[in-house]
Amino acid sequence: MNTDSPVIEIQNLSRRYGKLDAVNGLTLNVRAGKCYGFFGRNGAGKTTTIKCLLNLLRPNSGTARVFGLDPEKNEVAVKSRIAYVPDLVAFYPWMTVRGTLEYLASFRKHWNNDIEADLLRRFQLDPKQKASHLSKGQRTQLALIGAICPEPELLVLDEPTSGLDPIVRREFIETVIGAYQSGDPGRRTVFVSTHLISEFEGLIDEFTIIEQGRELLTMDADAARGRFRKIHARFAQAPAQLDLSGALNVKQNGREMEILTNGNSEQLLEKLKARSPEELRCESLSLEEIFVASDIMKRAKA
Amino acid sequence: MLLQIDFKSGKPVYLQLVDQIRYAAASGGLRAGEPLPSIRPLAEELRVNRNTVAKAYAELENQGVVETVPGKGCFLKESNSPFTKSARQKILTKEIDEAVVAAHHLQVDRDAFLALVKERLDSFERKVKEKSDND
Repeated sequence: MNTDSPVIEIQNLSRRYGKLDAVNGLTLNVRAGKCYGFFGRNGAGKTTTIKCLLNLLRPNSGTARVFGLDPEKNEVAVKSRIAYVPDLVAFYPWMTVRGTLEYLASFRKHWNNDIEADLLRRFQLDPKQKASHLSKGQRTQLALIGAICPEPELLVLDEPTSGLDPIVRREFIETVIGAYQSGDPGRRTVFVSTHLISEFEGLIDEFTIIEQGRELLTMDADAARGRFRKIHARFAQAPAQLDLSGALNVKQNGREMEILTNGNSEQLLEKLKARSPEELRCESLSLEEIFVASDIMKRAKA
Repeated sequence: MLLQIDFKSGKPVYLQLVDQIRYAAASGGLRAGEPLPSIRPLAEELRVNRNTVAKAYAELENQGVVETVPGKGCFLKESNSPFTKSARQKILTKEIDEAVVAAHHLQVDRDAFLALVKERLDSFERKVKEKSDND
């Protein structure tokens, strides 16, 4: 594989369920060694996209390539280099933790026993415990161990931490950074779909917001935080005829305003300053706030 | 040396780490010969991408602030600045400009700003002196 070619390459992908366009012309690229966030509301098409990458669904049109390969024609070649953690993890209830890991390892050419032992200890999972007796958090932890031990080049996470308690969520993310990413950083790619954006914030290099099956925004995370800003201004009295066109959103409560900006905060700050505010502050939006703001952008586009 | 990330600052995450480590180095929070935290535990603790920490360390090495000893880690260099005077001033000018813009937005006037700069310089020098007295 050419190291410069993307690990995931989605071109104009569409997938319908009956008359519903779940994914409708989506294009995105994920480069090797990156952690890529895939954000969208419920029903935006995230899971459908992921299933197309894993050959659990076939696209109606467009292409999905993983390591430059077609997941349908080269299913084994693709899957042997991927691990996947879905939001709802199912194991055979009669198997123990140990038995489940042995079963998962039997499908893999490579299995890192040191990482396995390390993570079992860290998560305090009892190898003799039956899978049916595990809590939701423990099932996710077991799935994560099963995903990391084969040291795959691509880790696909679909809402992995939803419904888990905060400590389990933290440990999950630390494990992705430590046990997974640190193994061979140039060849460890993460593709994560999540609603809990703030928890993954520090991990995300680049992201795509998907809306009704289409890409709404794709950006580098640092660049996005540099571009989307929130200005807070307070005046002695409500300013009259203040032209704030170009702002993404303006919220005003008497003589205080909160203004969301998309790349033009300097210009708007100048305008506000000309009105001698009592207070003027400007901060970047977090990725979660950018996601919420993208809904405003979508409505502005429509 | 304790590091923290503020996603609302708008500054790239790796640069926040670079700045904080340089500050720690300048203010005595990190001493010459002392090791920087290893990349993996620091990334886990801050819950940031491992590559972000690696990028910050590479940048610090590039700037001549730290050196990597293979197999041992990353250490703060003795404080012989590798920069020419003009290069140092260039770096500082950028930082000062940011503060000047912030002061402008906050309507802190010239005299108040200069007074604040003096106060911060005094406070910094006091800290450095206390540190060296304690050594």
